[in-house]
Amino acid sequence: MKSRSALFVIPVLLAASASCMKWDYGEPEDFTAHGEGLFIVCEGNFQYGNSSLSYYDPQTRTVINDAFYRANGYKLGDVAQSMTCYDGRGWIVVNNSHVIFAIDPVTFRETGRITGFTSPRYIHFISPEKAYVTQLWDNRIFIVNPSTYQITGYITVPDMTMEQGSTEQMVQWGDYVYCCCWSYQKRILRIDTRTDRIDAQFETGVQPVSLSLDRFGKLWILTDGGYDGNPAGYESASLYKVDAATLEVERQFQFRRSDTPSELQLNGTRDTLYWLNNDVWRMDVRSTRPPVRPFLKERDTRFYGLTVDPVRGDVYVADAIDYQQQGMIYRFTSDAAPVDSFYVGVTPGAFCWN
Amino acid sequence: MKKTLFLIILAFSLMTSAQKSRNLGNVTVTASRPMKEIGVQKTSFDSTQLKESIAQSMADILAFNSSVYVKSYGRAALSTVAFRGTSPSHTQVTWNGMRINNPMLGMTDFSTIPAFFVDRASLLHGSSSVNEAGGGLGGLVRLGTAPDMPEGFGAQYVQGIGSFRTFDEFARFTYCNDRWASSTRVVYSSSPNDFKYVNHDKKLNIYDDEHNIIGQYFPTERNRSGAYKDLHLLQEVYYNNQRGDRLGFNAWFINSNRELPMLTTDYADDTDFDNRQHERTFRGVVSWDHSRSSWKTALRGGYVNTLVKYDYSRQVAPGAPMAAMTRSRSRIHTLYGQAEGEFTPSRKWYFTMGLAAHQHFVKSIDRKVADANGGDGLVGYDKARIELSGSASVKWQPVERMGLSLVLRQEMFGDKWSPLIPAFFIDGVISRSGNITAKASVTKNHRFPTLNDLYFMPGGNPDLRDEDGFTYDAGLSFDVGKSDRFSLGGSVTWFDSRIDDWIIWLPTTKGFFSPRNVKRVHAYGIETKLNLGVQPFKGWFLDINGSYSWTPSVNDGDRISAADMSVGKQLPYVPRHSAAVTGRIGWKSWAFLYKWCFYSERFTQSSNENSISGHLPAYFMNNVTLEKGLRFKPLDLSLKFAVNNLFNEQYLSVLSRPMPGINFEFFIAVTPRF
Repeated sequence: MKSRSALFVIPVLLAASASCMKWDYGEPEDFTAHGEGLFIVCEGNFQYGNSSLSYYDPQTRTVINDAFYRANGYKLGDVAQSMTCYDGRGWIVVNNSHVIFAIDPVTFRETGRITGFTSPRYIHFISPEKAYVTQLWDNRIFIVNPSTYQITGYITVPDMTMEQGSTEQMVQWGDYVYCCCWSYQKRILRIDTRTDRIDAQFETGVQPVSLSLDRFGKLWILTDGGYDGNPAGYESASLYKVDAATLEVERQFQFRRSDTPSELQLNGTRDTLYWLNNDVWRMDVRSTRPPVRPFLKERDTRFYGLTVDPVRGDVYVADAIDYQQQGMIYRFTSDAAPVDSFYVGVTPGAFCWN
Repeated sequence: MKKTLFLIILAFSLMTSAQKSRNLGNVTVTASRPMKEIGVQKTSFDSTQLKESIAQSMADILAFNSSVYVKSYGRAALSTVAFRGTSPSHTQVTWNGMRINNPMLGMTDFSTIPAFFVDRASLLHGSSSVNEAGGGLGGLVRLGTAPDMPEGFGAQYVQGIGSFRTFDEFARFTYCNDRWASSTRVVYSSSPNDFKYVNHDKKLNIYDDEHNIIGQYFPTERNRSGAYKDLHLLQEVYYNNQRGDRLGFNAWFINSNRELPMLTTDYADDTDFDNRQHERTFRGVVSWDHSRSSWKTALRGGYVNTLVKYDYSRQVAPGAPMAAMTRSRSRIHTLYGQAEGEFTPSRKWYFTMGLAAHQHFVKSIDRKVADANGGDGLVGYDKARIELSGSASVKWQPVERMGLSLVLRQEMFGDKWSPLIPAFFIDGVISRSGNITAKASVTKNHRFPTLNDLYFMPGGNPDLRDEDGFTYDAGLSFDVGKSDRFSLGGSVTWFDSRIDDWIIWLPTTKGFFSPRNVKRVHAYGIETKLNLGVQPFKGWFLDINGSYSWTPSVNDGDRISAADMSVGKQLPYVPRHSAAVTGRIGWKSWAFLYKWCFYSERFTQSSNENSISGHLPAYFMNNVTLEKGLRFKPLDLSLKFAVNNLFNEQYLSVLSRPMPGINFEFFIAVTPRF
């Protein structure tokens, strides 16, 4: 009879003793990141909530992975899209978490957060009291006050519905901010920062995805050309050179139909363009012809992010590998000589120089 | 430590075999094996298992009664099932013979299949699935209704009231005479589903007057945007002419309106957003079964109509109406026809032939945007595909103790033919004492990409290659028992599968996802099952069912680049160990049920990083139910109290998807006597 009782009791005891899932949430760590460093924003996988932030010191060649989580004790969120350093703080836009975190770039600790967005993509600072935040699935650019972490207003984009809403990267020339409208769009907006109104816009090719402003006041706009079946159009991607003052298209370099260029970047002196198109490409902004050979050839890599050290001129390119594991950052000199490589988080897609 | 506990739990089942005695109930111990199932690796669910947790979906039934991996995105949210280290789209699912995998996604959401609607369920593991359909690289889940019902009028009504303002209502009305049988079943479940949980993925800040952070804490939140209202109707009519012919009609209607829960990492105000999926599905099957002494034929025809509306909208200003951000509409029409024949010329030979056709018409509109000319343009696809699957099999039992089976299957999806899919099975009784049987099978299976894989806009990849799988398994089983005292059965099976050109969706530089053939996967391991039934004393019974799987499933492909760390690693979201034990003790009209399941650590990254987001810790789940039956003159009453997540475990099945802690539900079932 005793053994029969044990028969009932044992599984209950076993289950009780084995019922606790082990969580690994630890205590926040202390960091002190000195000097100019590079933040790498790893977007992770959509709906996994596994975005992360890495920090790389180019001088010591040391990397700190999962910096946000380790410094704060909680996760960065879902699909960290971009980061901007301004006025001694780093601002990380976490798209599908609907939040922008401000961090201290030395300790990586959060100093505040702005919420209430639809689907934030990029933040551009006009002043310590004003910044613009672009959105996907919204026809408004949000105006925020970074000092109070509040949304203070909206810039409504004409002829754009919520459903097809897309405002993306921004650059500033004088009192004007230029913003490309990407998903199912083909135009660039000009916003007067004194009035927070769109005072001009012009059309480009299909889906302008990336935007830069060179030292000569020329806008460089990269379109991705859409895809086959895209109602907004499908065409070859193009690189446009547009005068920021007159909004006149001065040059258009067309890619092949199969090309998928992205990640338009400038060097520190803003006279050399870099972009990804399977390989890494480079072009002087004064050039009248596109390059025929890549700056860096891909080697079974899936380049997903790109930046240029504004001081040293070194080129950093992010390899997402299979998008499901830690990505790799490759560092090269401006002569394409390899310098360093290091693992970061999943799907590294954006950079921010402190 | 975890492994030790695991072994103890398994050993428990074995230990109990030394103390047996039991009411056999529905366990049959016999040396004869049906020829149809020569060499087949099958897990069957009896009616007790299906009906014991009336409010649960088939996802929960499978989680607690088998060792397949059930991946749940939350309570009343997407739940998928995967066998033997494969993916949910490698699991084929049939309902009354008709394949019900979503032709767009390839997978089946088991959270939308109420256990109350299933009378017969079984799992066909690995190669055994080829007997029913192709493409089940992991296996096949066979669900169905049954015409068996008591003579005359019957009715049952069950009301469940549970935590989180959950209301479950079930009703069944039956009528049966010697020729006709009719059954009508209704299920309606609703809940705000706003359970509380401690959110460990975010912290809330405490600020001083100058907006400096002076403190932080993990908030206790409610599951946001998780409400659901699900209605299911099932009508069955059967006619039996008593001369070997049976006509059947089954119609199942689903109207499901579910919010999609917010991630734990979402900082949005849930009142600003509405994120909702509304599904209306009709499935109808008519069947004719014609049986004679040595042969059988069956004809089936069916139709499925599914409309899935996905709406994501937000309020742009207080008091303003919700503005649509995404309006996705998917309409699927499927026509189904199937003919089967079985012929048994002698006791030694058994032949089958079958041909099934599914014609899908799919229109998927993701959203409406302005086209290049300023007019309305649609993002989506409108495609039709015929899917044919034909098979022939011969089964031979040269001696009573041994059986051989060969199945040849070929499929055509669209205009593409699969290679011949052969499957070979063998089994033999090694010892009559203990009914020890050895089984083995081998197959080369083939799976076509889904319609979304090929045509989804944007990202569909019409150049995808089909997936190929090679699998074999071998195992032993036994059954012993003594009439009205005990029964004990068990099995252990080794399996080994290789899948080439595994399809997976990956991001692109254009901002959308696209499927690619990227992996060669080697999945292997062991499946064990043990069932014990004991009747220790008069009026008592004890049932214990246990299962355990060890399923390494590793990326066996070539490295993408020198930096690739995924080769040789376990696939994401495939636990190496899974186990389930269900124990039921009955005494007179009382019944106590204990359900336990376990999944080992799951990695979320292909490189198996042990970081905070790189893995999900192992978890155990414990549910208990106490039931009391009462008999009155005009009716029978049954009162049941269920406790889910008994130890209030905080756990995750999927990253960033909250799961409920301890919760309760009380049921009262009324069965009038006519």
